[in-house]
Amino acid sequence: MLSLVIQNAVAGSAIGLLYGLIGLGVVLFFQTTNLMNFAHISSAMLGAYLCYTYTVMWKLPFALAIVMAVMSVALYGLLLKRFVYAPLAKRKGGRLEFIIATLMLSVFLLNAVIVVWGGVPLPFQGLFGSDRFPIFLGNVVIQYHSLFVLAYITVFVIALQYFFTRTMTGKSLRAVAQNPRAARLMGINVDRMLNLSFMLSTGVTALAGILLIPVYFVSLDLGSGIIGVKGFACAVMGGMKRPYQALLGGVLIGLAENFVVLFVSSTYRDVITFLFLIIFLVLRKQAEA
Amino acid sequence: MERFKKVIPLLAVALFLVIPLVDDNQYHVYMLNRALINCMVATGLVALTGFAGQMSLGHAAFYGIGAYATALLTVRVGFPVWLGIISAGAICLLVGMVLSLPSFKVSGFYLSLVTISFGNIVWMLIVNWHSLTRGPLGFPGIPSITLGTQPLSRVGFFYVSAVVLGLMTLALYRLSRSYIGRGMKAMSDDEQATETAGIDTKRMKVLVFSLSALYGGIAGGLYAHLSNFLSPESFVFSESANFVAMAVVGGLRSIYGGVVGGLVVTIIPELLRVKGWEIYYLMGSSLAILLLVIMLPSGIAPAVQNVYNRLGARLGIGGSGSGSNGNGSGNGSAAAVRGDSKSGGR
Repeated sequence: MLSLVIQNAVAGSAIGLLYGLIGLGVVLFFQTTNLMNFAHISSAMLGAYLCYTYTVMWKLPFALAIVMAVMSVALYGLLLKRFVYAPLAKRKGGRLEFIIATLMLSVFLLNAVIVVWGGVPLPFQGLFGSDRFPIFLGNVVIQYHSLFVLAYITVFVIALQYFFTRTMTGKSLRAVAQNPRAARLMGINVDRMLNLSFMLSTGVTALAGILLIPVYFVSLDLGSGIIGVKGFACAVMGGMKRPYQALLGGVLIGLAENFVVLFVSSTYRDVITFLFLIIFLVLRKQAEA
Repeated sequence: MERFKKVIPLLAVALFLVIPLVDDNQYHVYMLNRALINCMVATGLVALTGFAGQMSLGHAAFYGIGAYATALLTVRVGFPVWLGIISAGAICLLVGMVLSLPSFKVSGFYLSLVTISFGNIVWMLIVNWHSLTRGPLGFPGIPSITLGTQPLSRVGFFYVSAVVLGLMTLALYRLSRSYIGRGMKAMSDDEQATETAGIDTKRMKVLVFSLSALYGGIAGGLYAHLSNFLSPESFVFSESANFVAMAVVGGLRSIYGGVVGGLVVTIIPELLRVKGWEIYYLMGSSLAILLLVIMLPSGIAPAVQNVYNRLGARLGIGGSGSGSNGNGSGNGSAAAVRGDSKSGGR
C-alpha cells in the first residue's frame, strides 16, 4: 500500500507540475493585462501538434523541435495581441467581450487543427523514454516521464527566475505588472512588455502541452476546456499574482486527483476536482477579480 | 410620424413569424425552432449578465437539467408534456438558487470559473449516471408536444415557442422597468454603492440567477420535446460558451439582445454549411462570431437601434431618443433607484 501511495504521489506531482505550468502561463498573462485568456489552453494543443509536425514529419531532432514549437506558439501569441486584444481594447470591450472573443478563438483553433491534422489522436512514440521500461525502486514503479517533467521544469524555473531577477527586460516586465503607469514614467516601453507577456504566456503553455503528450497523446483533448480550467484553478490557487505558487497549486491539484482515483473512483475524478475548485474559490478571502 | 417608427419593428417581427408558413423545408423550420429555443437561453443570460452583471459560463447545465428532467418525468413517471416542461423550469429555478450562493462571495472571472465548474460537473453527471440518463447512449423516445390528441407539427412548435419567447421577453421588459430591474442594473454598476442605497443585493442575485435558470430550463424542456432524443453532447461546455456568445453578439445591455443574438448565432453556421466545405463550416462560423464580437463589442441590437434612430432623425421622424428603450435605460445608478423607491416605485 505504501509503495502505491508513493508511486501515486510521484506521478501526481509530475502531472500537477504540468497543470501548474499552464497556470503559470495564466498568471503571466493576468499580471500585465488583468484579463483571462480562455483560448489559453489552445496554445498547449498548438504546441503539441507543431512539435509533432517538426519531429515526425520534418524529421528534426526532438530538442530543436521543442524550441521551434514553443517559438512558433509565442509568435501566435503576438498575433493574438495584434488581432484580438488590441482591437477589443480600442473599442472599449470589457472582460466579458474578451472572454467570448477568446472562447470563439479556441473553437476556431480546435476546428483549424481538425482541418490541418485531422481529428484522430496521433501517436508519438519514444518521447521521454515512454517506450522504455519504468524504473523499479523496490515495489515502487516510477515512469521515466515523471523524471523528465521534473528535469524540464527545474531547468525552466531556474531560467525564468534568472530572467525575472537578473535581466533588465525581466525587471521591466515585473515593473509593468506592478504598476503600468509608473513603469511608463520610468521610461519602460509598456507596449513592448505587453507583447513579451503575451509571448511568454503562450510559449510556456506550449511547453506544458508538449510535456503532456505522453498523458493525452497529440490529441484534441489538449485543447479541451477541462485541462484549461485546471490551469485556471492552479493560477487561482497561486493568487493570480505569484507564478511559483501556481506551480505549487498545480502539484496540489495533481496529487488530489491521483489520490481520488486511488481511493474513491476514477469516473468522478474530474467532478471532485471541480468541486474542490468551487469550494476553494468561495472560501478564498478576497475574491475580487 | 411617431407611429411609423413603431410600425417597422412590428413589421419585422410579423415577417419573421410568416417564414414557416412560406418555407416548406422541414429542416429550415427545425433550425428556426432551435434558434428560438437558443434565444430563450440567451435572453436569460442577458438578464443575468447584461442587467445584473453576473457572469455565467455554465448555462448549458440548466439547459441539460431542464431537458433531462422533462424527459424523465414524461417517459418514466408519465407526466403530460406541458407539466413536464413546467416542472423542468421549476427544478432549474431551484438549482439556479443554489448556484447563486457562490456569487455572494465571488465575482467576475472567478464567478465564471465557478459556473464553468458547475456546468462541467452537471455534464459529467449526465454522462456517467447511466441508470438515470443512459449516459452516452442517449435518451430516446421522448414524446412530442400534443395539441388535443394530435402531435404538434414543427410549424406548430414554432408558434408555441415564439409565444413562450415573447412572454419571456415581455417579462424581462417589465422586470427591467421595475424596482428590481433598476436595482439589478445599479448592482452591475457598483455593488457597494447599491448596498449603501439600501438594496439587498443578495436577494437580487438569487432572483436573477433563478430567473435565468428558469429560462434555461424551459428552453431545455422544449428542446427535449422538439428533438425527441437527448444525448450528452448537446450540453457540453462549448454549448455554454455559445449561449454567452449569443447574448454578447446580440447585445448584453439590450432586452432584444438575446433574441437577435440567438437567431444570428444559430443561423450563421447553417449559412456556412456549403456542399464540399463541411469541414470548414465550424471554423468559419467561430471566426465570424469572433469578428462580430471584436467589431461590435456592445452587440448588434444596440447598433441597429442606433442606425435606426439616426435614420429616423435624418428623415425627420419623431425624436431620436424615444425608441431606444432597454438600451438607453441601461445606465441606472444606485441613486436613481433610490429616488425611484422614494417616489413610491414599490
